[in-house]
Amino acid sequence: MKRKLIAFVVAAIFSVLLAGSAMAEEINAYMGTSPDNNAKIAQFIKDKTGITVNQTFQSFGEIEARMKAEAPNFNADMTIGCGSSTGFLAKKSGWTVPYVSPAWKGVPEVFLDPQGNWYNFSNFSFVLVGNKDRLAKAGYAMPTSWKDLLDPKWKGEILMPSPLSSGTANQMRFSFLALYGDDEGWKFLEALDKNIAYYTRSGNAPTDLVGRGEFMLGLTSDENVKKRLDDGYPLIWTIPKEGTGYDGTFALILKGTKKLDACKKIIDLLGTPEFSELMAAIGYVTPRPAPNALYGKTLPKYIKLDLGKASDDKAKNNDIWKQKLRTDFK
Amino acid sequence: MATVELSLKLQASSGSKIKDFLNANLINILAAFLFLLLAFFLLYPIIAVLLKSFRGPSGFTLQYYQNFFSKNYYYQSLYNTLLLGVINTVVCLVIGFCLAYMTTRGPWILRKPLKIISLVPLIAPPYLFALSLIILFGRNGLITKMFDLHWQLYGFGGVVISQTLAFIPLAYMMIENTLMSLNPNLEESAYDMGASEATILRTITIPLLAPGLLKAALLIFVMTIAEFGNAAILGGRTPFLAPDTYTMITGESDFNMGSVLSVVMIAPCILIFFIHNYLLEGKQFTTIGGKPVASEPRKITPLIQVPFMIITTVAAGAIFVCFAVVFAASFYKILGVTHNIVLSNYLDFTSNQAIYNSIRVSFVAAVIGAIIGVLLAYVIVRGKFFGRTFIEMVSLSGFALPGTVLGIGYLLAFSAPPLKLTGGIMILALNCVFRFLAVGVEAGISKLHQIHIEIEEASADLGASFLTTFYKIVLPIMFPAFIAGFIYTFMTAIVSLSAVVFLVSPGFDLAAVKIFDAAVYGEIGIASATTMKLVLIVMICMLILNFISNKTRLGSSMKKSAAV
Repeated sequence: MKRKLIAFVVAAIFSVLLAGSAMAEEINAYMGTSPDNNAKIAQFIKDKTGITVNQTFQSFGEIEARMKAEAPNFNADMTIGCGSSTGFLAKKSGWTVPYVSPAWKGVPEVFLDPQGNWYNFSNFSFVLVGNKDRLAKAGYAMPTSWKDLLDPKWKGEILMPSPLSSGTANQMRFSFLALYGDDEGWKFLEALDKNIAYYTRSGNAPTDLVGRGEFMLGLTSDENVKKRLDDGYPLIWTIPKEGTGYDGTFALILKGTKKLDACKKIIDLLGTPEFSELMAAIGYVTPRPAPNALYGKTLPKYIKLDLGKASDDKAKNNDIWKQKLRTDFK
Repeated sequence: MATVELSLKLQASSGSKIKDFLNANLINILAAFLFLLLAFFLLYPIIAVLLKSFRGPSGFTLQYYQNFFSKNYYYQSLYNTLLLGVINTVVCLVIGFCLAYMTTRGPWILRKPLKIISLVPLIAPPYLFALSLIILFGRNGLITKMFDLHWQLYGFGGVVISQTLAFIPLAYMMIENTLMSLNPNLEESAYDMGASEATILRTITIPLLAPGLLKAALLIFVMTIAEFGNAAILGGRTPFLAPDTYTMITGESDFNMGSVLSVVMIAPCILIFFIHNYLLEGKQFTTIGGKPVASEPRKITPLIQVPFMIITTVAAGAIFVCFAVVFAASFYKILGVTHNIVLSNYLDFTSNQAIYNSIRVSFVAAVIGAIIGVLLAYVIVRGKFFGRTFIEMVSLSGFALPGTVLGIGYLLAFSAPPLKLTGGIMILALNCVFRFLAVGVEAGISKLHQIHIEIEEASADLGASFLTTFYKIVLPIMFPAFIAGFIYTFMTAIVSLSAVVFLVSPGFDLAAVKIFDAAVYGEIGIASATTMKLVLIVMICMLILNFISNKTRLGSSMKKSAAV
């Protein structure tokens, strides 16, 4: 008797857990900005359209990998926040549902695909961050040129994300190759490698690790720098005089979605001035002009980049990367 | 005689013919069905990985393997991984043995607290220790700052320490179980006859423990090289196969190379699995029958007691400190920078959702896993069909399969129609079921070996159908094995990362993955708070389970089962 009762209880719990709960209007999305910013964007969408966005946090690189693995049977309806390389690849491979949004009228061409395959809702760059306290203690000043990072005094004190897992880092690597040319660029990266403590998995990780004083300097995505400054991390940031690279944050509607209307509503929303204000307040450079929280009125100096080439060269550069750079061997 | 039988059969209606057929063959049908499940959810994904590693854009190729063995980078990664596995296994066995010895043979007063400390990490994600090491010994860690030290935590050393701490509980649990089931009379009579403690250890305890130790070694080795949380967080520049595989799949999306890395990682595990099976052939002298008996504490000579006490204290102390530190860190917004205590890390809604998902997945996996485990054990022991040993081997091979590999296997095998399972709860649950199946199966087998088949035969002779016999006789006997499979699967599934990290989808995050992401990202506060919530909730679940099984008078078997 008792056993039957237990079996019944177990079965009941089992079915409840398996069933889960279905709510009104919701979509699944791959979102590649930082967890904080993902939450902000999802909340904004929820407030303005009533659509719930289910999301997992992944880096740009991971999102691209996952989309490649799943194509053409995506487990999400949209990607909100992936790198330009993913956007170009998706267009080329026909993974997207083209939609020309009326809400994006008047936005400069760099921010959207004329056929509506992708929309770039904000540009981000990478910056050099330093830990104020640690720098002061060591008596070092913030470097003003990327070449300053080669000084042996920084040995083991610089962090950078790994291009193998982070799209931001791929952008960094490509920017240095574009700035110095292929030969000099690789020489620079190899020399820099001697001072780098290790390569982090996520493009934002150096901000937090340097902020907490684990390391003195970090090459990091700018997207979280403003937030961390506001949180009270003893950070200082700069863009060295040679300038910085950039990448877009793309939104795509994925083929096979059963919620096309909801997706279209979200794309429309991303083109509004209000959304640009939200992103600019985080520190992004946005499609519609808005006061930028990190950079103020003067936008950073950019290194001239061919984003398409950055995406094409990625595999080749990863291979060279693995051969040239040092790993620890026990 | 024969004619009588024949006429009897002829008299029987066609309905009872089917019944007879079923009675005679149901076990075979069941076996066939279970084998299909194993083939589909365990063998097929692994074969998919194997095929992928040989299949280039233009058919069969060895190019990816050539890549692996010709490039320094991968070779180093393999070497580091094996070295980590060996060091970890040895250290964990030594510490696990000391702990188990103290909790089964040591002074009464120490037994309970030591046992609790040794077992608690089982319900926390293994990379909790990476977190606490960063908090304490990171470059801006508490201890580093206090003594102004300059050491390098991010590297091989850090990974070894955190991984060792993480797998002590497993070593302890397995060794303690074998020690408990050893009849203490042997040791006590040796002691009474004047043998020294060292002699007893050397000539009685350790030889009798050998099978248990060997098995523990196998399991620790496999888990160590597959669980990549600590290596990914603390590895720094030191490459290891498991995190490399993860990056290869999730970062570079090179499934061919990812598969090659997986196959390379499986190879040593399978090898050890076979060696282990070979060595244990006919050596099952661990006493299974009878209740575990707690032995009276003897006077242990200082020569043994002092080093044992030192190792035990250091290990238990380290585990305790690590937990305390993570608990403390969960209340700080920015550890090491701001000093006001906040609760905001605990109020993070997305992590609550992830914890809820983890419990759902683990519960579903545990129910399915326990049922399949018990049924498998039954057909393996009682079945008389061809390929029985093969089924046994396959279902126990979960021990030897690195989780990373099964994760990639599932991703490769079940991400395209008609077998599309990705993007939901079922793929996560099934993955856990088949990875952790071995424990339930093994518990079931050992239970069935204790019960003579005559009881079932008697029941059948008295006219009970196969199903009745199964329901009335076999199931009650197997219930403790069911509980064992259930608890093990539930506990392991909820904290395991290495396979599920490949299979989570938007809108269905798991707590283990969430904590890992936060830790990798550097958000120590969120990671710590989520860990603490997870530990608390798993504890509550275990208490409820314990309560239920005590109510159903399964207390003793439960304790045993938790340690299988």
